[in-house]
Amino acid sequence: MEALDMREDYQDNSAAASQNSLQLIAFSIDEQIYGVEITTVREIRAWNGATPLPNTREYVRGVINLRGTIVPIFDLRARFGDGKTNPTKNHVVVVMSVGEKWIGILVDAVSDILTVSKDDIHAVPEGNANDTELLNGIVTHDSRMVGLIDLHAVVAGAKEDA
Amino acid sequence: MSDLDEFKATYFDECSELLLELEEQFAAIEEGDRDSERLNAVFRAIHSIKGGGGAFGFDGLVKFAHSFETLLDYVRDGRVELTEEVVTLCIRSVDIVADFVNAARNGDTLPAEYGASEKASFDALARGEAAETEAGAGESDEDSMDEFDIDFTPVSVDLSADKPLSDLPVSPDGESSWLITFTPFPTLYERANDPLLLFRELALLGSIEVTATLGGLPTLDQFDPFGVYCSWTIALTSDKASEEAIREVFEFVDGDCEITVEKQAGAPAAEITEPDDLPSFADLAEEAKAERKFVPTGEPDADSAPAAPAAPAADVGAPTPVRPVTPAAANGVSSAAASEEANGGRAVGMQSIRVDLDKVDRVVNMVGELVITQSMLTQQMDDAIRDRYQELVRGIEVLAQTTRGLQDAVMAIRAQPVKSVFSRMPRLVRELAAKTGKKIKLETIGENTEIDKTVIEQLSDPLTHMVRNSADHGIEGLENRLASGKPETGTIRLSAEQAGGNILIVVEDDGQGINRERVLEIGRERGIVGPDQQLTDEQIDNLIFAPGFSTASEISDISGRGVGMDVVLSNIKKIGGSVHVRSWPGKGTRMTLRLPLTLAVLDVMLVKVAGSPYVIPLSSIVETIQNSRADFGHMPSGGKVLQVRGEYVQVVDLARRFEMVTDQTDDNRFVVLCEAEGNSKVALVVDDIIGQQQVVIKSLEENFERINGIAGGTILGDGNVALIVDVQSLKTGHAHQNAA
Repeated sequence: MEALDMREDYQDNSAAASQNSLQLIAFSIDEQIYGVEITTVREIRAWNGATPLPNTREYVRGVINLRGTIVPIFDLRARFGDGKTNPTKNHVVVVMSVGEKWIGILVDAVSDILTVSKDDIHAVPEGNANDTELLNGIVTHDSRMVGLIDLHAVVAGAKEDA
Repeated sequence: MSDLDEFKATYFDECSELLLELEEQFAAIEEGDRDSERLNAVFRAIHSIKGGGGAFGFDGLVKFAHSFETLLDYVRDGRVELTEEVVTLCIRSVDIVADFVNAARNGDTLPAEYGASEKASFDALARGEAAETEAGAGESDEDSMDEFDIDFTPVSVDLSADKPLSDLPVSPDGESSWLITFTPFPTLYERANDPLLLFRELALLGSIEVTATLGGLPTLDQFDPFGVYCSWTIALTSDKASEEAIREVFEFVDGDCEITVEKQAGAPAAEITEPDDLPSFADLAEEAKAERKFVPTGEPDADSAPAAPAAPAADVGAPTPVRPVTPAAANGVSSAAASEEANGGRAVGMQSIRVDLDKVDRVVNMVGELVITQSMLTQQMDDAIRDRYQELVRGIEVLAQTTRGLQDAVMAIRAQPVKSVFSRMPRLVRELAAKTGKKIKLETIGENTEIDKTVIEQLSDPLTHMVRNSADHGIEGLENRLASGKPETGTIRLSAEQAGGNILIVVEDDGQGINRERVLEIGRERGIVGPDQQLTDEQIDNLIFAPGFSTASEISDISGRGVGMDVVLSNIKKIGGSVHVRSWPGKGTRMTLRLPLTLAVLDVMLVKVAGSPYVIPLSSIVETIQNSRADFGHMPSGGKVLQVRGEYVQVVDLARRFEMVTDQTDDNRFVVLCEAEGNSKVALVVDDIIGQQQVVIKSLEENFERINGIAGGTILGDGNVALIVDVQSLKTGHAHQNAA
């Protein structure tokens, strides 16, 4: 009986924890830090080239072979409208799942795993449509700003202008 | 998915197979093959459909199948003659059964009177003939489904001794009494048979009294919940039963049980087989277990193993292993096993398993990966490695061989005989012949040729169109045939054979051939052929595949709506095949389908465009030309056309089309002349041609989306992704741009 109670306590705690906090994989583009929820990340790998896709938008860098599956790579910098990344071996591809699909995003570097409280997430200030479209929110960690990427928004839109 | 749903799914799978078999058997019967085995086969198939249908409560299906079965039964024992009308009725009834099955599968309800007229015909046929031998049999058959609730009360059993059977009912005059002992083997239950159903069926023959024999029941500590300890003795009193009729009840459990049937001649007690004499299955099982101890491999078929050498299972490529049973081995073991062997049909049935296609595809995909990885490894080997690590190199070579073997073996799993498509054709031809009033004979050759399942699925429509076309346009009417000195009956020959990495399917007829004048005329009318364009005979013949083309002056409901042959072409192109037609005026037409053995692996040409690898399906490539030797012409739009053998072909520069920058000079580039849908051509300009290879097709849409001009992706030996060029969409896409 006692054991059972303890388990219930534990479940309550973890439920409360997951309700209030969020674990993020943080990565950088130039000086800016962005994050995605850790549960969506499948793999992190070094940039090793991609086969370019014709007739798609600039920020779709191409496709790579991930253990037999073809995965598209999105250039996050280009997606933000800052021009194409000139990738080197030091650049990183973060592979993650968006809905049923797996995608990779090309970033400069992966910096850290962050645990943040959901209460600390701020809304994205209105003003630039690009910002509000691509970010879910902004969170502060160690007094630095971390933009939460809306992966669905990153993937969507690739088709429209294709 | 609930258990019941799973069973249902299995049942419907089986139904499809059984219906196919029915169709095949009836086709043969119609040809005049009155082999009793065929009748037995159709009877069994209908019976199985009915049995399963009953289990799931598909009443309409069961009632119809039951009447059908009754008729077949009468045909089988000669009470109803198998006339042409009966065969036609049967064939139509197979369709109705199929409709019932489909309705049940989709949960639709068919109108209550569906199939009623056929059912009435069965009953009339059955009753008409049967009336003399069996008064009122038709009637009782009709109602028999409702008569299932016979009196069957569980009997209390004295475990200390078997109940003596001396108190058999004394038979009234004109009735005969029978004593039946029924000892099921475990296999009977494994095949989901239920003795109760058998008894109920038996009760239709007369009144029965069932006694359970529990002599073999072990004590509880030795009780095997899956064991069979119960046998039955049934006393049947009937005015119409014959030994044959009784045995027929047990026909479907034949081999799964032991049956004795004895007629009681007034003094029943003396002739009763003592239940103790029956081989108790517990003993048999013990015996079998004892045998099993000597089996080193622990294979489930203990009966055959002692005589068989432990067969190495290494050869994956081998066909279904034949169960090595020698008579000596079979005799040496329990009678249960022996009788299973004797029942060869079932033993064969057990050698195949039903596997979800997804599972097979998973294996196919993984083998594809393995092939890629293996070739990647091979490419890594340079001379230095070869010198230093000889063992490693040898290992990789063996790996390469095994991988190839594995690939073949896996593809063989997906392969199926084309029979499943061919077997639908006799019906079609028969219907067409009836509709057009022509006499047509269909010959099939090589129907056991195996092709990938997916290809087979895609083959049905095109083949139907082609056969239809032959019957409608190819074969002439009776008078015309006689006038041109041909036999009255036209022949359509359907053949399949393997030729290298391809399967050739040929549809041939001895009809009038293609009317080239008329075809060309229509081609010009519809603007498919330019007014001054001169075409060879072959080109005219192939015009029939042009979209929107139809030569039939009047539209029949068989073919001639202008869709048809172009659909054939596009369907065949879709599965990586090609169609070719040849015609001899007055003598006939031959259409040849060339199909890939498998869809999973594609033969491609590897090219480079702006530094990136692309592959073009080999099946669509006509030829390649060096750019410097190609004869280009310039169009007002700035586009180019290629002149090749008097034909002007649209040129698509892949680099430009894909908006990529190439540093290759024009003269060093290549033109790949491809064939797109509708026999039209397009010339693709690429930077370089690297070579031919086989690739595994991967979807881009799985993680991304469809891209115009690209049919998919593939992974090359070096692990990089190459894109598969979609020739058709490049052509139409370009045309669209020009128009805009």
